[in-house]
Amino acid sequence: MIILWIALGLAALIIFVVFSYFNRFAVLGNRIDNSLSQIDVQLKRRADLIPNLIETVKGFAKHEKEAIKAVTDARKALIGAKGVEEKVKADKGLESALKTIFALAENYPNLKANENFLELQRELATTEDKISYARQYYNDSILSYNNLCKTFPGVFFAGIFGKKPREYLHIAEAERKPVKVEF
Amino acid sequence: MPENQRIDFRDQISRNKTKSVFLMVIVFAVLVVLGYVISYVFEPGYFFIIMIFAVIFSISYLLISYYNCDKIALMSVGAQEIKREGKYKQYYDLAEGLTLASGLPMPKLYIMKSEQINAFASGRNPKKSVVCVTEGALEKLDKKELEGVLAHELGHVGNYDIRYMTLVAVMVGMISIISQIFLRSLWFKSGGNSRDNKGSAIFMLIGVILAVLAPIVVYLVQLAISRKREFSADATAVKFTRYPPGLIGALKKIKQGNQPDKKINRAVAPLFFANPFTELGSTHPSIDRRIEVLEKM
Repeated sequence: MIILWIALGLAALIIFVVFSYFNRFAVLGNRIDNSLSQIDVQLKRRADLIPNLIETVKGFAKHEKEAIKAVTDARKALIGAKGVEEKVKADKGLESALKTIFALAENYPNLKANENFLELQRELATTEDKISYARQYYNDSILSYNNLCKTFPGVFFAGIFGKKPREYLHIAEAERKPVKVEF
Repeated sequence: MPENQRIDFRDQISRNKTKSVFLMVIVFAVLVVLGYVISYVFEPGYFFIIMIFAVIFSISYLLISYYNCDKIALMSVGAQEIKREGKYKQYYDLAEGLTLASGLPMPKLYIMKSEQINAFASGRNPKKSVVCVTEGALEKLDKKELEGVLAHELGHVGNYDIRYMTLVAVMVGMISIISQIFLRSLWFKSGGNSRDNKGSAIFMLIGVILAVLAPIVVYLVQLAISRKREFSADATAVKFTRYPPGLIGALKKIKQGNQPDKKINRAVAPLFFANPFTELGSTHPSIDRRIEVLEKM
């Protein structure tokens, strides 16, 4: 009788542990997916700001066709990009195209003083901050997930559930530094 | 960031939750004992009625303060909610960026009138959290410094410090008021003489001791909580922003320029980013020590 109870107790314990690990993997996996979609949301907001910016710049600096085209192209690349890594890279391209535009704006006092332009500039900087925060959280989420996958006893359950460590978003160190506007 | 990983935040969260329950049990016990003492000192004849009243009162007190602690704290400082658009856009955007960095839900944002650079967070869980900064902080801090302060407050939110700290502030703040009332009515009563002088004198003494002790004990509890929490909230802030100089800058500005603000209720003082008063026996670790720890990160 006692052996039966012990067996039952052990079975219950095992079921509990398996369930809690399964849920842990699910929660951390969801966190990664969710933070990924947060990056997407911010990238989209960024792309949505561009046409407005282009219109404003055109109003004051029509001749800077090249710079304007560079931004429009970069935006297209961002919208067309598939997968986060590619999107983040496209965003970097957009960022450098924008840098050129903002540097050019220095030559156009009216543009530089334009309320709309200033607002857009602020908004673009804010979204850039948010993107880097979302990216940071994405990598943090992957870190907790991978820690669970690679440490005992998580590594054992990872094998059972077929969970594999995920890849970090790799962004070169130099790109993480604050953008310097050059003239 | 190996320094930050060593702190297990999940441990801290469950500790805060347990402590909150523990606190509520203690507050309940203190209130019931107070009721017991009151009934003996004043009217031993109505013992049961007073005790039943005390129990009902304590339970409703706990429930009300649990579900409204954030509102009580906000009310006590006269805070006003802000919206995304308008004057406080930068504040809102910074908070939103930090929620992305931390994965926490967006708190409701408030401002309060004060020249000081200060801030606090409150609420019973991260979903129902509020963050409030002073107008002084918005004026005097630059973007990175304000971000550091907000990250510190979100650290309190994520660690469930807000639940425990607000509960302490609100429940304990009330205890001090109640015992104050008790003490005052005793002074009036002591003028007249009554029959069983010895018995009531003892209970009067107990009543006085209790009334004097209640706020002191609680004050000590407040001291015990804040000190360690501020450091771990600072560490969490750095985990979110990855930029210690922002928080350090804010602390330095506070050290140089904050004047004591007498209007802030003493009971809610431990909630704040920096101690609103400057005298000894402060509820916060020294700013120098905090800066020192941050500089090592």
